Amino acid sequence: MTAAPVLSVSGLAIDYELSSGGLFRKRRSVSAVSAVSFELAPGETLGLVGESGSGKTTVGRAVLRRIPAAKGRIVFDGEDITNLQGEALRRLRARMQIVLQDPYTSLNPRMKVSSIVAEPLIVHGLAASAEEARTAVAELLERVGLPGDAADRYPHSFSGGQRQRIGIARALALKPALIVADEPVSALDVSVRAQVVNLMQDLQRDLGISYLFIAHDLAIVRHISHRVAIMYAGRIVEIAPRQAIYERPIHPYTEALLSAVPVANPKLQRARRRIVPPGESVDIANPPKGCRFHPRCPLASNRCRKEEPQLLRKSGDHFAACWNRDA
Amino acid sequence: MTMPLLEIDNLHVCFDTRAGTVQALRGVSLSVAPGETLGIVGESGSGKSVTAQAVMGLIDVPGRISGGEILWQGQPLAGVDVTRAARGIWGREITMIFQNPMTSLNPLMTIGAQIAEVVELHMGFDRRAARQRAAELLSAVGIAGAERRLGQYPHEFSGGMRQRVMIAMGIACEPKLLIADEPTTALDVTIQAQILELLAELQEKMGLAIVLITHDLGIVAGLCHRVAVMYAGQIVETGPVDAIFENPSHPYTQGLIRSTPGLDADEERLTAIDGAPPGLLRPPSGCAFLPRCPIGDEGCRAPQRLRAVGSGTVACRKAGEQAWREAV
Repeated sequence: MTAAPVLSVSGLAIDYELSSGGLFRKRRSVSAVSAVSFELAPGETLGLVGESGSGKTTVGRAVLRRIPAAKGRIVFDGEDITNLQGEALRRLRARMQIVLQDPYTSLNPRMKVSSIVAEPLIVHGLAASAEEARTAVAELLERVGLPGDAADRYPHSFSGGQRQRIGIARALALKPALIVADEPVSALDVSVRAQVVNLMQDLQRDLGISYLFIAHDLAIVRHISHRVAIMYAGRIVEIAPRQAIYERPIHPYTEALLSAVPVANPKLQRARRRIVPPGESVDIANPPKGCRFHPRCPLASNRCRKEEPQLLRKSGDHFAACWNRDA
Repeated sequence: MTMPLLEIDNLHVCFDTRAGTVQALRGVSLSVAPGETLGIVGESGSGKSVTAQAVMGLIDVPGRISGGEILWQGQPLAGVDVTRAARGIWGREITMIFQNPMTSLNPLMTIGAQIAEVVELHMGFDRRAARQRAAELLSAVGIAGAERRLGQYPHEFSGGMRQRVMIAMGIACEPKLLIADEPTTALDVTIQAQILELLAELQEKMGLAIVLITHDLGIVAGLCHRVAVMYAGQIVETGPVDAIFENPSHPYTQGLIRSTPGLDADEERLTAIDGAPPGLLRPPSGCAFLPRCPIGDEGCRAPQRLRAVGSGTVACRKAGEQAWREAV
């Protein structure tokens, strides 16, 4: 990576409190994510992939400073934002935005589209007059491919794909440098999904936005990402340029995940060797000792049961956390 | 050809709402042969789940079957006068599993009691035999420690395990047909792979026919023998799975397959199908896909019926033409 990263996360750990404690109760917390490090260049998309409970959404929320980090550093645009507070945090919020999964619940049903999209402009004092806000909204709606009369309608009169466009228009309003997109297309139908993915790629090309693209759909992630990070039970187990992840996966979990994805090609699908890992994802409240994947891993050795592997450079830009595999 | 297990002929289902009558199914015809897996694919609102509900007699007010026939081994399965006879078929010869196993299981009953109930009710097993059978079924669907697990409640099971329990209940009476409505949509990929493998294995062992309803073309490709593609309450194309994926005839099927990214191809842009499906309050009388179709024209405003093309059937007068050229 040549350009200075727009986002740099190092050693991030996040704990969730299970009980806040009391006179006779111990404070208990669970480590949802730990030792997470990655960088994101301007105009780059990093796909963050994992199954439910792997911590991918938690990482996204921590980057946006919606939940506090227990450990580690988050640097955005050269500035350490890990502990930013007050006015400085408010100003930061304008430069990083979120697009949520469910366009049916993420838009206020009682607000017109014009108000939904203009709200961030008004909150951050970026529209001097109502007239200015209206012009800005019209531009944004056109930008995301919505019809001109969309501004005066309510969310219920739009389809899922159009609603997601509204959500994207709102995220774009403040010209952010980074958008955290948390499963932005998983609630959409296949034919519409492609429209939204194409739109996000166009916007990135034209506006140079960076995406942290959180998803469980490996095919979509491959399509949109430049680099991909695979999470398992609160750890990044592998991170590499997309080609390397999909063609030369190192971590046995990545391998299993890729082989489990059903491919829309009957002959290929029948011929593929599937590695279905037995068992289920770990309970992060009681994680196994050593490598968190070892109870399901075909390569697990004694060392894996005792020592947790670190994310190490295996070749070039390819990092993986596995004792038994090298590039 | 042997007699099909299930035959649906020109089925119409509508839902009366305050805004008007929604025509959810508009003349659906399909058949399922013994031992085959039929995949029904389509987007939300295309009518795939309603088709399954109609077969299971689950269409309730404000919905109604407004026309057509459902035949089970030649016997009618819809209509007031057949309900009594159909009781012996629903849950016995045809069973169904749903997307969300948590809401399909009773949280206040042990797993064992729920499975045993099925066999007591439909097969007339006594208590002890039913419990024995429940334990066998749990082992059959790959749940270890069946004896201990029988006494547990649904919340003690993970999502994948609950779906296994649902499958155990689904096969408890050795049905001839299992309808699976998005059985793995709520599950993680690796767990999904386990469940799909289980379904394939059970089918082979029991000679079960499966109707698999899904929006995921990858699942269809891996598990189904035949595919029916639905759009706006109608079937637009049917055919053997290889033919559908290699040589789709309907522009919608072609678009659907092209807009699904693969794990190996490095396409610059996905083929997106512009627009959205039509509302079904006032569906068009002609081809419902026309407004989104790149090769549609005036002639497509006439109703399109399914007709035989190659090894399948297609409801398109331009069947076989390439609708989507290079991605723009």
